[in-house]
Amino acid sequence: MKLSAGDFLCLEGDFASSLYIVISGTLTGTCNSMASVKRFEPGSIIDIFSLLENTTREYTLKAIEDSEIQVVDHEQLKTILDEKPSWLRSIIEFLIRRNHIGEENKRKSDLVQALPSLLYLFSGLLKELNRNTVPTSLLTEQATRMNGTKPEEVHKLLRILQDLGILKVLEDSVQVESRELIHLLYETLRYRALERKISPNILSMTDQMVLTVFIKLSKQNKAPLRNGLSAIPTSELKAEAKKSMHGMTLTTRTIGSLVEKGILTPDTTLDFHAALDQSEFFFGDFDRIMDLLELNRIFPLLDKKLVE
Amino acid sequence: MNGNSRQQVIPPARLSVKAGFVVYSHNDQERKIIILDKGELVALDNTQSPRKILFTMHPGDLVGVAALLEREPFRYDLEATVDSEITMVDEDCMESELKNIPIWLLAVIRELSARNRLRKINSRHSRANNPLISLAEFFRHLKKGEPYPLETLVQEFCWQTKADASDVKEDLKALCRRKFVEISERAQAGTEGAGPVVTVTQPELLELFADYLESQEQGNPWQPLQLSLNQKKALVRLSITENGTPQDPPAWLAFFQKNNIALTAADWIKMQSLSWFDNPKDNLFVPNPKKIQYFLLALRYEINLRGVL
Repeated sequence: MKLSAGDFLCLEGDFASSLYIVISGTLTGTCNSMASVKRFEPGSIIDIFSLLENTTREYTLKAIEDSEIQVVDHEQLKTILDEKPSWLRSIIEFLIRRNHIGEENKRKSDLVQALPSLLYLFSGLLKELNRNTVPTSLLTEQATRMNGTKPEEVHKLLRILQDLGILKVLEDSVQVESRELIHLLYETLRYRALERKISPNILSMTDQMVLTVFIKLSKQNKAPLRNGLSAIPTSELKAEAKKSMHGMTLTTRTIGSLVEKGILTPDTTLDFHAALDQSEFFFGDFDRIMDLLELNRIFPLLDKKLVE
Repeated sequence: MNGNSRQQVIPPARLSVKAGFVVYSHNDQERKIIILDKGELVALDNTQSPRKILFTMHPGDLVGVAALLEREPFRYDLEATVDSEITMVDEDCMESELKNIPIWLLAVIRELSARNRLRKINSRHSRANNPLISLAEFFRHLKKGEPYPLETLVQEFCWQTKADASDVKEDLKALCRRKFVEISERAQAGTEGAGPVVTVTQPELLELFADYLESQEQGNPWQPLQLSLNQKKALVRLSITENGTPQDPPAWLAFFQKNNIALTAADWIKMQSLSWFDNPKDNLFVPNPKKIQYFLLALRYEINLRGVL
């Protein structure tokens, strides 16, 4: 087939059962999902899967100079393969299958790989703009520049994070309730990847239960904050823990890991071998604890959500 | 030899094997595609004890395509679990068959194979178009003046972007040369916390640098470095204007005129297109301090941005 400069060969999305091979000249291909223009020069094979599987055209193709194209359709392929040993067909089918699996795996791995940088940039922008919303276009632009993340990947990741309840995707911006949570999530992922250990932000079930009790009491507490921290009397903490934690007794040992991590602070230096009553009050940053509990709720769900 | 290579097809080997027969060992030098016609084969990892079954092959399944077409190593042994029939396509057989197919079909097979290979190679590399822009974007979100351990920071960046650590260190030198970041020794060698640290001197400059590089890459002129002398004067004047009162365009032009800056209507349109003024309301405009600061910084650090220090 001969094309003159400026001729269109096909439109993106057309149903097709043939491929094109550029014999001479140059064609350009454009498609909705790609900002740049792709060039096809002699030797290029275009729409390989259309020949093999009857799919739609990937690009709108236009000759930018006089060009010659070879069209190979499904019938030609079938005729050839019918004459050949069956193993040749098996190999081609295998290669196609492997391409599809490879594409799918790459799509998933790109998404997983894009998450940390997106969280990093998002957290940075929230701090820089000093507000709880970030324009989606700005986040997308930075993610593309820093990590080659595609806009559709950014949108997919934001939707995943929205499903987990971390943020809200608005018309042209992304809104968070807690700025710190985005940073915490990034730090937790970073720690897991680089230190190859579970982050200290990931708490045991007991720690989470103790903190839930602390939050419940903080909400009921009418006393003013002390240095910006909620102060809960140890006696109330013990009584509520007994009720909420299925009769479990709160001890110095139970609360010890939270003290060691600096999440709760006693009003006196804690002797880990003495009774819990040694401390009259426990202090904690309400917002930080809420963020930690939220992080611990979403973190186990995140990996699964990403590859769904 | 009949002189016609197209006629010389070497048929594949067909074998009947008993249960327990090792069809292929990962140590075998000869690469081949193995197609199971009848029976059952298992792929085993014999390097582990007890040996581990990686997958089971059923009639119609085949392995070895990557080994034969893409020269990838065969990583396992294949063993028959029941009496089986197999077809083996070795290099000679494959080559002879490929010589007998139309060139376009050969190109299709090669293309399919190449795509797989390319995808694997690409998955190990950074997806960022420009590594320097990528690094600048990363650094612009760091705290100004905070010393970060160099190695840890590079490791973190590589984790996020899959960039190569040695390439990152080279790019870091480019940022140092432009004085956007500083590398220093935190403490004496041998003491706790010793080692080089990186400090970002002015994060905003890294944003400018990323924008500048992107414009260069796309072959577009970068607007902050395209201003006329009068536009530059207007920019400086706007930067020292306190509490810009909303005014209409003639009032703004009169304001510049009063300050000995002769601007034309074209200049005014350009200033609007550069977002120096915030969204007009009832044709009233106020200066956009953030944008003005951005352009001012670009002018002040033009030499650093261009890297001609």
